[in-house]
This record gives sequence, structure tokens and C-alpha cells, in this order.
Amino acid sequence: MAELSVNELSQDLRNAIANLQGKEGLEEAGVVVRVGDGVAWVHGLKNAGYSEVLEIESEKGTVEAFALNLMEDEIGAVLLGDENFVKAGATVRLKGELLTVPVGEELLGRVVDPLGRPLDGGPAIKTKQRGLVEREAIGVMGRKSVHEPLMTGIMSIDAMFPIGRGQRELIIGDRQTGKTAIAVDTMINQARQKSGVVNVYVAIGQKLSKIARLVERLKEEGVMEQTIIVATSPSDAASLLYIAPYAGTAMGEYFRDNSQHALMVYDDLTKHAVAYRQMSLLLRRPPGREAYPGDVFYLHSRLLERSAKLSDELGAGSLTALPIIETQAGDISAYIPTNVISITDGQIFMETDLFYQGIRPAISAGLSVSRVGGAAQTKAVKGVSGNLKLGLSQFRELASFAQFGSDLDAETKSQIDRGQRLTELLKQPQYQPMGIWEQVASIVAVSSGAFDEVQPEKITEAKQALLAKLWKEAKKDMQTLNKGGKPTDELMQLLTDTAKAVSRAYEGA
Amino acid sequence: MAGAISRRKVAEYTAERLLAGDKDILTQLAAYLVQTRKVRTLELVVRDIEAALAERGVLVADVRSAHDLTASIKRELTAFLADTTGAKTVQLRESIDPTLIGGVQVETPSATLDTTIKHKLQQLKAAKQ
Repeated sequence: MAELSVNELSQDLRNAIANLQGKEGLEEAGVVVRVGDGVAWVHGLKNAGYSEVLEIESEKGTVEAFALNLMEDEIGAVLLGDENFVKAGATVRLKGELLTVPVGEELLGRVVDPLGRPLDGGPAIKTKQRGLVEREAIGVMGRKSVHEPLMTGIMSIDAMFPIGRGQRELIIGDRQTGKTAIAVDTMINQARQKSGVVNVYVAIGQKLSKIARLVERLKEEGVMEQTIIVATSPSDAASLLYIAPYAGTAMGEYFRDNSQHALMVYDDLTKHAVAYRQMSLLLRRPPGREAYPGDVFYLHSRLLERSAKLSDELGAGSLTALPIIETQAGDISAYIPTNVISITDGQIFMETDLFYQGIRPAISAGLSVSRVGGAAQTKAVKGVSGNLKLGLSQFRELASFAQFGSDLDAETKSQIDRGQRLTELLKQPQYQPMGIWEQVASIVAVSSGAFDEVQPEKITEAKQALLAKLWKEAKKDMQTLNKGGKPTDELMQLLTDTAKAVSRAYEGA
Repeated sequence: MAGAISRRKVAEYTAERLLAGDKDILTQLAAYLVQTRKVRTLELVVRDIEAALAERGVLVADVRSAHDLTASIKRELTAFLADTTGAKTVQLRESIDPTLIGGVQVETPSATLDTTIKHKLQQLKAAKQ
């Protein structure tokens, strides 16, 4: 055996240490040239990658930014922290990683900002995993077609525009037409029906008072334990508004990838596009239509493409998305609304006129559509709601005719009568999502003609009485119905008979 | 009209002329900057030229320390820089800054090495926040 040279060993060790220190020591660095409006221009850092995180030194520790403009002479980076601490001449280092947020069960019940920092005054959030904010959507082979229902608890949606798990259904309408209410009711219904679906609500530039009210409500309803709220306010930097939906999606994807189901609500993507427009213009990218940058379509398409129903090999989890878009004076042909309509698998269109006529939820039967949900609709509801949508759209058309007060033939008159009762039936107060059996029983009562003699203004009362009676007298049957299977003929007969019996008490003027 | 020439291109051309021993290049560059009203970007142009020179094997490094550096430390530093950046010649521009308390701060055109006590204290302070 060769003699071990201690001298050489110590020398080798010294060299190894020197090497280690050398690699650790000389860090690539750049300098901030200009800073303002949440954007820092950096000189140097030739090796910076797109969307890589930069660390800018300041008196108050490091401020993070991400590189979005990689140009020949300088880098345009969007600041994630307070720009007041960033000064021209500050040293900038590469963090060597892309933007990530904490993900996991630990986030349930919490209100966080887009970087995963708590906003609810609770303890710091420690998760085992972190997820990439910008992540590629799952490929073709990893997907399965949408086939399981996601019950919103809103009768007009579940009956006419059913939503499936993994679907992207846009909620679109003017301000104050109840868009958020639909999303919130859907979240509440997930807790009421114990569907196990996790809610992720992303508030993009929403008033903090509105978010606080929402959190209170969700706590009251007992939904908060299965909800994550990612909140940004109008006073946050545009960069935070921009990453909020991606960060929220990363949190939702954790559940999707672990064989669970999650529901994303993006409230709203109009503000998201506006925040991105601000960032792009400050980064001196050329403006296009309505001053939005050229990649504003990609901005939303890559976000919504991450919603998916996974194949069985990947655990069959799902991520459903309910993006919200606010229109101006009902104009759905503006730039952002048309973009998002074309990306999503259908839309629920809310109308101001209906809202002020007292028809709430103010869902337009003619303009709303669900492109993939039909395959996912609960058998029970599907069996009874057949031509509800057609009937309702025809009624709204006829009703505008009938206003002229001319004589109508019997058939038209009966169509209008049925339509009026249907419209009354589909009115539903906020925070009161309905179970499957309630929806089926109500629809059967009207569409079978059992409620034909009840005055339209008494439909709601009659419906309540019917539901109470059914629950009292046939609880077992209703529980079976609630499982979602196709109702048997006997059960249908029971529903019709009970409805007729209830109807008698409300007949006459 | 010819498009604007990027700063990097100007810097690379200047660096090449400097290495070729062209003495007039600085006058020409000055004239170019004045004519194109880019005198304000002088600092950045200088940095870019230094970076371009470093890419071509001539490294100029700023060395700041609290006290005078001994000849042996300078030798080691030069060797270390030549080794890590692959430069053929290394020039050190030294300056003394007592507020650094101890250690040494090296700045090359594209990288920094900060082993000063001031920097470590700042890091501690930031970590505490």
C-alpha cells in the first residue's frame, strides 16, 4: 500500500476549499440604472433568464423583482416589493430560480397575498412544498374529458348551463349584476353538499372592504376551512395584481395533482388585463388594440389552460375555473371579453335589465352557454330539465311581443304562462344554493304542469311549501334523489302528486 | 436613416480598437457621444467597455478595503480573478474605505465578491427583519 502523504492531503483539502469559496464568492452582479413606477432597469446580468427572480440590495434588505424585458443593453425588471427602498446604483443579483409560492393543505382557511404571505393576521405559513407561479399546462395525454358535475347550487345554472369539473366557465356581465354572487354561492354550495372541492378565490385589485366582507360571510357559512383567498387590493403594485391569478392557480394545482378537486375563481380578469397593460406600457412594449400589449390573449389563455380534468394515470384530480369579466354597458364584443369568451368552455351572461326586473340571478338564457358541461350534468337534473332553456328563451321573445297587448292564441298564451312560472321558479336568493333534490322537485312541479294554476307571484311560496312537505313526508326518497341518479317513475309520480296537492292551497287569485 | 447603434456594439468596437492599440479611439468615442447627445450615458458606456475588455481577457477590477492590502494578498487576488474569470491580464484599481471595517470588496464588470464585515453586518440586519 502506498504511503499516504499527509502533506499532500492537506494541500488538496485547501485547494478544494478554495475552489468552493471561489465559486460561492464571485457572484454575477448588475446595477440598477433607473427605477420608477414599479419598474427597475438593470445594467449587467448578461446571464439573466426570462422571468427569473432578481434580488436588489437596499437598506432594508433585498427587494425582489422579476426580469421581463431582456434587451441588448439593459434588463427591465418588475419590482415585487416596495420601490421606495430601491435606489439607482444598487447592486442586483440573480437568485437563480423562477418565482414560486408556498402550496399545500396548510393554506386552507387562510388569506394570503400573491407571494403566499399571510394577510389575515395569522401565523406565518410553513408548507412542505412550493409551486411554480408560471407553469406549463398539462399535455393532451394527461387529460380526460370533463364528466363529473360541479354543482353550483344555482338552479338556473345547474339545469340549463351545467358545469363539469375541469371546465372553464366564464361569468360575464356589467358591474353590479351579481357576478361575484354566483361564484360565492358556488363556493358555499361545495361546503353545503360536502363535495370536497377546495375553493381558491383570487381577488385581483378588489376593494379590501369587499374581501373582508367575503371572508366574514365564508366563515359564517363554514366554507372558509376549504377555501384559500389570494387577495390583492387596488393599492398593490401592478406586478402583484399580475401574478395573483398564476399564484392562486399554483395553489389550486397542488390539489389537482394530488387527486383532489379544486375550484378557481378569478375576480376579475378585466382588472388583471389592465394591470398587465400598465406593466407592459411601463416596460415600453408597443401598445396594440385598446393599448393592450400584443400578448394579452396569451396572458389569459395560458392561465386558463392550466384548468383541467386529469387522466386516471395522473390521479383523476381536477381544476375548474370560473373567471369573471366585467363588461361596459353590456358590450361583450370588446377586446378582453371576446378573448376570454373564445378561451373558455362557455359563459354565463348576466344582464342588467333582468337584474332590475327582479329576476335574480340575472342570467341571460339566450346568450349563456356551456360547451362541455352537458356530459357532466347530474342525471337527476338532466332527466327533468330537458327543454328548459329553449322554453325560457322562447318565452322571453314572446313576452316582448305580448307587451303590445294584442289577442293571443291559446298555445302562445300557455307558453307565456308557463314561461312566467319558470322565470319565477328560477329566481333564487343569494347565499341559498339548492341541493339536487330541491332542484329536481322544483323543476318537475312547474314543467309537469302541476303548478299551472298557481299565480306567478305565489310560485316561490308554493315551491317552499312543496320542498318542506317533501322533506317531511319522503325524506328517504329525497336523500336517494340527492345522490344524483336518474329518478324512477314512482319517484316522479310522487313529486308530481305532492306538487299537485300543494298547488291546491295556492290556487286562485 | 441608419438605426441607432446599441451601446453594447459601441463598447465592443471601442474595446477592440483599444486592444489593437488605436490611440484615437477615445477622441472618436467622445465625439460620437457628444454628437449623438449620449454624454449622460458615459458611466454606462465605460462599464460596457470594461465588460467588453473583460470578455477579451483584460480584466479591470475595483478593489475596496478598509486598510492597505499587502503585496501577497494582491497577488493572490489577481491569481484568483484570473483563475475564475479566465482573464489573461488583471488590473486592480484599489481604494480605501474605512467604513467597510474589514475584509475586501472586489467588483469586476459583471460580478462582485463582497467579504467585508460591513456587508455581513447588513445581511444580518436584513435577516433579522
